[in-house]
This record gives sequence, C-alpha cells and structure tokens, in this order.
Amino acid sequence: MSRRVGVLRFPGTNCDRDVWQAVEMAGDRPEWLWHADRFDAAAYDALYLPGGFSYGDYLRSGALAARAPAMRSVREAADRGVPVLGVCNGFQILTEARLLPGALVKNQSLRFNDDWVELEMKNPVPHFAGPVGPGARVRLPVAHADGRYYVEDDELKRLQDNGQIWFTYVKNPNGSVADIAGVKSEKGNVAALMPHPERAMRNWMGGSDGFAFFKGRG
Amino acid sequence: MAESTSGLDTLELDAKLKKYRLNRHELGLITEILGREPQGVEWALFSALWSEHCSYKSSKVHLKKLFSRSKRVVEGFGENAGVVDLGQGERVAFKIESHNHPSFIEPYQGAATGVGGILRDIFTMGARPIALADYLCFGEPAAPRMRQLLDGVVRGIGGYGNCVGVPTVTGQTEFHESYNDNILVNAMAVGLFAEGERVFLSKARGAGNWVVYAGAKTGRDGVHGASMASESFEADSAAKRPTVQIGDPFFEKLLIESCLEVMAQDLVVAIQDMGAAGLTSSSFEMASKGGVGLRIDLDEVPLRDPTMTPEDVLLSESQERMLLICEPAKFAAIQAIFHRWGLDACKIGEVRDERLVELAWRGETICRIDPDALVERAPQYMRAYKPWKARNRVGGEAEVSTGVEDGARFLLSLMGHARGTSREWIYKQYDSRVGAKTVRDCSDSVAVLRLPGSGRGLGIVLGCRPHVMRWDAREGGIDAVAYPAIELASKGFEPLAVTDCLNYGNPEKEPVMSEFVASVEGMSSVCEKLDAPIISGNVSFYNETMGRNITSTPATGLIGLRADVDGVPASRFTREGETVFALRLPMAAIGGAAQELTRQPATGYGQLEPSLIAPFTRLLLSLTGARPGGPIVGSSRVVGKFGLAYALARMCEGGVGCRIDDEKLKTVRGELSVDDLFREHLYEVILTATPGKDAELEAAVREARGALAMAAFLPIGRTGGRALEIGSLLRSPLDLLAQAYGTGVWARMETGSDKTGEVRA
Amino acid sequence: MKIGVKVMPRKEVLDTQGRAVENTLREHGQKLDRCTVGRYIVLDLPDADSEAAMARAKTMAETVLCNPLIETFELERL
Repeated sequence: MSRRVGVLRFPGTNCDRDVWQAVEMAGDRPEWLWHADRFDAAAYDALYLPGGFSYGDYLRSGALAARAPAMRSVREAADRGVPVLGVCNGFQILTEARLLPGALVKNQSLRFNDDWVELEMKNPVPHFAGPVGPGARVRLPVAHADGRYYVEDDELKRLQDNGQIWFTYVKNPNGSVADIAGVKSEKGNVAALMPHPERAMRNWMGGSDGFAFFKGRG
Repeated sequence: MAESTSGLDTLELDAKLKKYRLNRHELGLITEILGREPQGVEWALFSALWSEHCSYKSSKVHLKKLFSRSKRVVEGFGENAGVVDLGQGERVAFKIESHNHPSFIEPYQGAATGVGGILRDIFTMGARPIALADYLCFGEPAAPRMRQLLDGVVRGIGGYGNCVGVPTVTGQTEFHESYNDNILVNAMAVGLFAEGERVFLSKARGAGNWVVYAGAKTGRDGVHGASMASESFEADSAAKRPTVQIGDPFFEKLLIESCLEVMAQDLVVAIQDMGAAGLTSSSFEMASKGGVGLRIDLDEVPLRDPTMTPEDVLLSESQERMLLICEPAKFAAIQAIFHRWGLDACKIGEVRDERLVELAWRGETICRIDPDALVERAPQYMRAYKPWKARNRVGGEAEVSTGVEDGARFLLSLMGHARGTSREWIYKQYDSRVGAKTVRDCSDSVAVLRLPGSGRGLGIVLGCRPHVMRWDAREGGIDAVAYPAIELASKGFEPLAVTDCLNYGNPEKEPVMSEFVASVEGMSSVCEKLDAPIISGNVSFYNETMGRNITSTPATGLIGLRADVDGVPASRFTREGETVFALRLPMAAIGGAAQELTRQPATGYGQLEPSLIAPFTRLLLSLTGARPGGPIVGSSRVVGKFGLAYALARMCEGGVGCRIDDEKLKTVRGELSVDDLFREHLYEVILTATPGKDAELEAAVREARGALAMAAFLPIGRTGGRALEIGSLLRSPLDLLAQAYGTGVWARMETGSDKTGEVRA
Repeated sequence: MKIGVKVMPRKEVLDTQGRAVENTLREHGQKLDRCTVGRYIVLDLPDADSEAAMARAKTMAETVLCNPLIETFELERL
C-alpha cells in the first residue's frame, strides 16, 4: 500500500527533488513540508530529510535547520514512532536536533569527497532498507565534506550495546569513529546515513542498491 | 584636443581617461554621440559598457562571422545563454564563461563567483541548472603560487557548485608554463527546460511596467571589475585590487528557487542577472534590447554600505542579484515568493516608451542617455592581424619525432606527470550526482546525463587542446571543435551545438590577433560542417602578464544527444578476449604533448580538413548510437594527447590489459616505432565490439564507410592479461601503470613535498 | 606564551555566513542589528618575551592565518 511521505525542505536543501523522485519510484506519495511551518505529526507514514546544504552549512552543518519550526513537528512525529529517515545533511540535522546521537564533523581529509562506497549493515531498520539483512552489503554514492561521525567512547559503547549502528563503511572514507556510516535512534524509528540511496535507484545511475531504502516494510 | 570644453586641461583629461580606461578616440566618439562631453556618472557608464569585456570591441567583427544558426537553435548570441531544442518538448540552455583575472587574484572566490555567474546566466532564462563543467589551465605545478591557485580554484568550484546543488560532471585541466602568471578558469553550465516551460528573455517591455531588484544587497564588491578584466596584469596587480566579490552559494540556491518559481507562475516580463558591470549592464542592456527606456531611482537600490556613491552603485559587481521587469499588478506576488525564500525584492524604477535611461539619485536626475549609445554604439575595432600561414610543418610523418626511445619508461612517467596523471584528486571534490541524472561523470571522457522526460542521453564534453594550439592556431581551432565532437560521436552522441570561451592575450598585438582570427575561423568551419552552431560564449582578451601572453586557448563546450543511456560504450576495456579495433581518419600527425615534455620543437605534418570531420562523426555514430538489435560497440576512446600508448593505457584502467600486434599495427600506421606510439594522429579512435559482435561491427563499418573512403578500420590486437603490450615495442604491467596514475602526484603536491612527476624519455 | 588571533571578515566585504546566521536568528524572533562570523585561533608560542611572541604571531597572521583581501585580524595576549 502506498504511503504518505513528508519530504522536508529547508533553505539550501538540494536533494529534495531527488528524494521526491525516489519516493515516487518506490510507489509512495511524497508531499513537501516547509521548514518554517509546523505540520500534523500524525498525518504522515514516514518523513524524509534530504541532503544538501541547509543554511549553507554555515555555523555548523545542520545546526540552523535543526532549530526550524518544522523540526518541532518532526520531533513529535518521531516520539509517536513515525519512521524518519535522514540522508547526508538530513543526518547532520537529526544529530544537531538530538534526535540521533553523535555529531558529524569535517572529513579527515578536510575536503569534500564524492565517491561510491560499500556499506555493511550492522542492525536493520525495517522501515527503510527492508529487504537487506545484517551483514549484507550495499554500494551507494557519498558526497560530503562533513561526514566524519563522532561520538565519545562511552556513547559508542552504548550504541554498540543497543544495536543502534545501522551501517558501517567497508573502507572508511572520512575518518568516522568505528567506520560508522549510519545510526538509528534507541526506539529504532529514526535513522540516518551519510551515503545517498536516492542516487542509486536504477542501474543507469551506477547502481540500484538505494531502491530498498525507499521500500520499507514498516 | 588641447583644452576640452569641460575645462579639463590635457593632464587632467589624460588622468581621467586612464581612470576610466577609455582612449581619446573613444572620448571623441562619445562626444559625437552625446553632442557634448560626458559628465558625471556617464564616464563610469561608458567605461564599463565600452570595456572589452562588455562590448567585445576587438572581437565583434570576427564573431559576427561565426556559424551560429541551425534549425535547433531557439536563442543564440545576445541572450544570457544559448538555447537548443532537443525535440520531444525538451530544450537546454548552456554557456561557458571565463573568470580568469579574479581567480588569479583570489582563487577561491574567483572560481566560486565564476560558477555562480554562469549559473545565473542559465536560470535567468528559466532553465533549471542541471550540470557544470570546468575548463582549467594552470601554470607549471612548481611555479610560484601555483599549488595555492590550484587548490583554491578547485575548492572554490566545489564550494559553490556542491552547495548550490548542481553536479559537476566533466572538466579539463591543463598545465603549461604559458599560464604561470595568468591561469584560466572557464566554467560551463547547462540548464534544462522541461516540456511546456517558457524561455525568458532580457528584453524590457511595456511602458509603466516596474523595474524590480531582487536578491542580495549591493556592496562595493568588484567596482570597475569589468574594465579590470579588460586589462593586462602588471606586476603590482596585487595592489590595485578592487574589493573582492564574495559568492554565497546558499543565497544563490534561494535565488534559483525563487526566480524559477516566479517564472513558472508567469509573473515576469523580462529578467536578467547583474553580472559584469552590475546594474549598469543589466539595466542598459534590458532597455536597449527591448527598445524602451527606463527610469531608475538609485536611492531605492538596497545597499550594504550606505556611504556608496551612485557610481559605486552602478558598477558594483555584488553577486546573486537579479533585475526583473514586471507588470505592477504582479509585483506583490513576486515579492511574496522572494520573501518566502528569505530574499528581498523591491521596485527601483519603471519602463518608459521614450528610449532613454534616466538615473535618479537623491532626487536629482544624474543621467539621461539613450541605452543604444552605450550598448550598440561601442566602437568596433578591426585589430591588425595577418592571414594565417601553416606553421611548424615538416616534410612527412616520419619527421615528426617525439624523441622517445624507451616507450615503457616514458609511458610510466606520463602516467605520473601532472599533464598525464589522473584528475581524480580534483573531481572527487565535486558533487557529481546531485540531481540524480548523472549517468557518466568526470571519470569518463564524455559526461552523460539522463533527460528525465524522454529518457534520452545528453552528452557534455569540453574541448580545446592547448598543445595543438601551440603547434598551429588554425588547426588548434579546428581541433577545439573536432576533437570533442569525435569524443561525443565515439559514445553515440550527435553533436548539436557549441559554446566557446575565447581566452587570448593582448588583441592589440598582431600575433595574438592573427591567432584569434585563424582559430575562430577554424572552429566555425567545423561547426558549419557538423551543423552544430556556436550559440553562446564569451571572449577573454588581455590574458597577458608583463608582456607575456598565454597560449591562445579557445575553450569549447559541446552538447550531444543520443536516444538512450543504456548502450553508451565504456571508456575502458571490460572483458578479456575482445578484438581491439582502430578506426582512423588520417589527416595530420603531430609530435604534440609528448614532444613538449621531451623538449623537442613542436612539429607536425598534414592538415585538418573540416569537410571530412562531419562524415567521420557520422560514421562513428552509425556504430556507437542506439541500435534496434542492441549496442555493437562495447568500449571506445579517442586517441588524444600523448598518442596511442597512453590512450590504450587509459583503456586498461579497469584492470583488463591488451596485446597489440606488431604486424597489424604496422599495416594500420605504415610504420612501427616507439616514437610513433606517442605521436598524435588526427584522428584515431579505439573500439571494441560488444560480446560476439565483431563481425557485425565490421559489417557496419563496411556499410557506412562508403561516404568516407579515407577512413581505415582494422583490428590491431586483443584485450586480456594484466599488462599493456604493444608488440615488441612496449610492455607495461597494469599495476605499475595504475600506481603511477593514482592520485599520488596531487596528494604530494598538496603537502608540497613533490612538485610534479619527472619525465623520462 | 599564548596569543589569540581574532580573524574577522573585512567590513566592506560580504560576510555570507554572518548574513545567514543573522537572518536565521531574526526568523527565530531574536533582535539584533548585525551578526558577523569570524575565526578565533590560539597560538602557543615558544617565546618567553611577549613582544617577540606578538611579532611572531603577527607574521603568522599576515602570511597564513588571515587573507588580507577579505579579512582583518587582531592579536591579544592570553
């Protein structure tokens, strides 16, 4: 059954149209949600925070967007158990909003890095990447300058113990702690990753492993 | 003119002319047009709009002769960008532009604002930008500041393009000592109109309509930038910098979205970005093109710095600003859209029937002038030049020596040399896939985007090989279109149209102007044969520092179209045991890039014939294009700089080697020597068939070759193994080549621990 | 000897980051006239003498830490 999916747009979001297209490819119904407006947290079957450079990445990546009015509704939805997926800048926004643990800091190379990476699933998030199980590998593009996942040691241990690490990089491209590419919330309905599944929907894009992320079992 | 009517004595007048970069002849023209001497801000207006950068005064007489029309052209020169109809309701706008001088002064901001400016040229027409490409020429890596310039330019392009959300899909990076004191930063942007989307123009219309200013506030950024770009660099260029223009890609992203929304709702009559010479050029050009007048109240222009003078306001090159013409009743809706995106829009004037631009400041009219006087009546100079004579020619192919003796050693050193090594370090800093249309990116010889409406492929490729220009400017001009056209055809894309960025030295010097004329004529002649018109571009003269001119560099950007994106030939060998074919159109052979590295004098033999290039691309297209029975060409590469050995080495990058047969090679080339492996034969394409399709490929060539008897097509070897073997001449293990070709040079350059690879012939 | 280097955008140059932060703060209902964003760098120098340390820091600021085309700097002893 097709799901009603809210796609958030902040000033500077630039993967919004790509995510919209991916949602449609997966047979769901996307709707725009505007950063300045609150929305009904009960109205959506899933919420997507696309990548980009919200507020130009000024101050800290995701910092200004995390304080937008729409994010208060995202928090309410997350509390109600609505699946929330953040990609790239969406991941940065979710950590800045404290909906996910940790922070994303400058890549070890201090440069933007555009590449294809291989990921290994550690713990599943059934809402997204449904068909893929733990240990499975997927190939997706990354494109970020601030993608190095950082958490303190004790927090890392907590993530490991709780099974909150969603994906790790097979070959770490940015210096992330414990090769982490994606994490999920304690309850498991909020999840995010730095690589871009919406850019790997069809073979002509260079790969179609991203498709599964938009085909939840939720 | 000893004493002028304005009471200036000769010294004062000379000082004023110098300040405004006008000469006495031009002052005479202005006086004639106005019926009096210029006053007040008029000096600044003429200075800006009659600058080389805005008026094309040294090039216009030649640009008029360019082949520029075809049945696909919707808009050509004169608009912000050219627009081409792809059929099936899809159209693209595209253009390439230089930002050389600003990038040499401040590489990060110079390159960033270059990207921002070319993007505005695209979306100002109503097209959504879908791709960027960059043509960069740096000096020798060891030259002063060069590492810093390279790093700054690459970061600047990435910083802007990545943030604004337009993928950088292809590029070209050259290194040569002629750019040591004057780098080239040319950026190309491509935008897409989906079915039913309107093309917006810059012609102001409708007396009583409002002139609306939208976007960033005006600061003192880049005042006199346009006239600076029209001057050579002196040793003290650091000292006379105007305030650097700062680009804000975040702001630009908001501007793109708001402008496209305003246009989608059909709220504007005309629109133009404020680029070089800022408000001056946009307002006067909009009025001149529309055949109307404008009254603009400069006090209404939003300022960042309240102490600015009217001259500053008129000439500011602050970034991310647009000028719109709208019906008064639609202003509120426009303003609401801009506000929603966090931007301001305000009325600064009105359109009038009378063809005068009237500028008001503090309640007074400070200027009242016919816009055509500034836009249309700038002088056009026929700068001195000589008819082209072929140069650097030798008696025969055999005399074109590259001086290479140890082929394997030379090839290995090329793979690690700045001129031959991987550009991955550069393009990995660019987002290549945002927009989700990218099929082939910078890692390929041709970029490919999938057009979302029709599912067809749009090919994008840059051209101009400076080493060919250094051999012979006319041949180099032909090559600047022919080579990328053949690259497109080798991937099954029909070349449709061209944009050019003509980077040259001082046009007042006869050798420079002679190269300009010869190369532009060469380019145009190929375009005509290909029916691929030149529809947009710019000219950057005065790329001269302390009397030294750059290599004349007519950079080009070509777009091509193919019916699908699935059958695009790979650029690397993908399977073992395939036959390697060479398809050749032997017109000329040059020592080329290899000769430059071995410090031999540039020599060549033969000449490029534009009338043969079109049938050659058609022949290629008949093999590589979409076919009912599926593709028959599995991989393809045009043999380019450094000749055959280097091209084959690049095809082996995927880990599949090849073995070329001595005898077959000799049959194809008539000669078997290490030297010949590094000569550049114009033109030559390497192909392999898709599995099991060798016979079909050979049959297809036989069938199509009728029109071009000169073309040769022969098998030269087979893929396979873990080495590149060219008969008895050269054997290079792939892992060694890959190691040399990796990102090592760049990484070491970044830390300053290594200057560049060493060449060993 | 520790020296602080405050690097700020030159006043006449557009401060893109400051503009974005300023607009966002306003959207959140905060009152402010202007926001400027710069960098703060702390140098721990071997010099015991504060004049020598300041001179060394000044050289570093002029040549590396600050781009005089778009930024200005101030030094302070810490």
